[in-house]
Amino acid sequence: MPNLVAFPLKPRPRRWLPAVVSAILLCPTLLMAADAKEIARTVCAACHGMDGNSPDPKHPKLAGMDQEYLMRQLKAFADGKRRDETMSGIIATLDPATFAGLAAYYGPQKPTPGKVKDPQLAAKGRALYEDGNTDTGVPACAGCHQSDGKGNARFPRLAGQHQAYTLKQLADYKSGRRATDPLMTTVGKRLSAEEGNALAEYIAGL
Amino acid sequence: MLSRCLSGLLLAGFGCSLALANPPPEVWNAPYPEKTAALAAKADATRGASAFEICQGCHRAGALGRPDGSYPRLAGQHATVLIKQLTDVRSGRRSNVKMLPFADHQALSLQDIADIAAYLQALPVPPSQGQGPGGDLARGRQLYDRDCQACHGQMGEGKADRFFPRVSGQHYQYLLRESRMLRDGQRRNVHPEMTAAIAKYTDDELAAVSDHMSRLPLGGR
Repeated sequence: MPNLVAFPLKPRPRRWLPAVVSAILLCPTLLMAADAKEIARTVCAACHGMDGNSPDPKHPKLAGMDQEYLMRQLKAFADGKRRDETMSGIIATLDPATFAGLAAYYGPQKPTPGKVKDPQLAAKGRALYEDGNTDTGVPACAGCHQSDGKGNARFPRLAGQHQAYTLKQLADYKSGRRATDPLMTTVGKRLSAEEGNALAEYIAGL
Repeated sequence: MLSRCLSGLLLAGFGCSLALANPPPEVWNAPYPEKTAALAAKADATRGASAFEICQGCHRAGALGRPDGSYPRLAGQHATVLIKQLTDVRSGRRSNVKMLPFADHQALSLQDIADIAAYLQALPVPPSQGQGPGGDLARGRQLYDRDCQACHGQMGEGKADRFFPRVSGQHYQYLLRESRMLRDGQRRNVHPEMTAAIAKYTDDELAAVSDHMSRLPLGGR
């Protein structure tokens, strides 16, 4: 590094300046990504697992979910449109600036398959998932969430999700506790308890 | 708790049927701001394909509906008709309890409605619609030619600029159900001549004419 050595004696054009400036400008973004990863591993992992595949069926698997969708949900928790005993407390401690980084952490993770415990129930769920219930006006889940349950930016991935979590969401939509999507509120109200169980079982196996 | 819910539902259902017993008829196709705006909007069929995702859980992929008539085929329907029906449903001019939450202001924007209509209008209409039993096709043809074809067209192609729906390619069961509702005054957003044309039809005649419509050749737009 002859330039640096020569610097005190003979100032040269500061060719390093742009690099330093852009490093400083980029820093917050990098820091935030690093922060988000750190938060995911130290805060979120307790419930959602290190790689977003939660070990506890009460908590959702986040691995492989669309990043835009995850962002929207984090914001919904922060705004109080979605409430949960655990999550609502934790979201209050997080800087909203980290949400994008968190979504970017979980989106690319590899989702683990779910476990079907009752194949007969899952078969009933499949019929409902693919065809809906024309008597009660329940649309086919596949219409929005796709046949493979992988979802997209508008509609969340369902494939492989824990039964208990799916059922909790259906119940929360029905009761209005979760008010992030008026269509799902309608679906939650139109589904019977038996239909909900069948769907959760089928979805776990997708 | 459950019984309270159930009795609440029953009461609500009872109230609903009372309210629907004598629905006030609408002035045929009277303009109102939302419909006018949706009709005037610059539509994009590609955006419509994406917006239609929330509809296809019932109306099925490709908007082909279901042969049991529970949900009509929308593919190939005129955009004007689709916009009128959608805005009529969400403004309460056409009663449709099942559909309302999926058509209301929280579910669809005016732009979505225009886009979806443009998308549906351009979809192909394969000859896979549910047809009637074929019991009295001669009678069906005779009634159609006498009472229906002046508005709905010789091929059942409808009239886009007059908001008359295309009926060819539609499921028999849907045609039958809706024609009964039309005759019985349960579709308020209808042209008075439509109601008058079939006011004296028997159930058998409605079945015959619906059967004929479900067999009209496709392709007429």
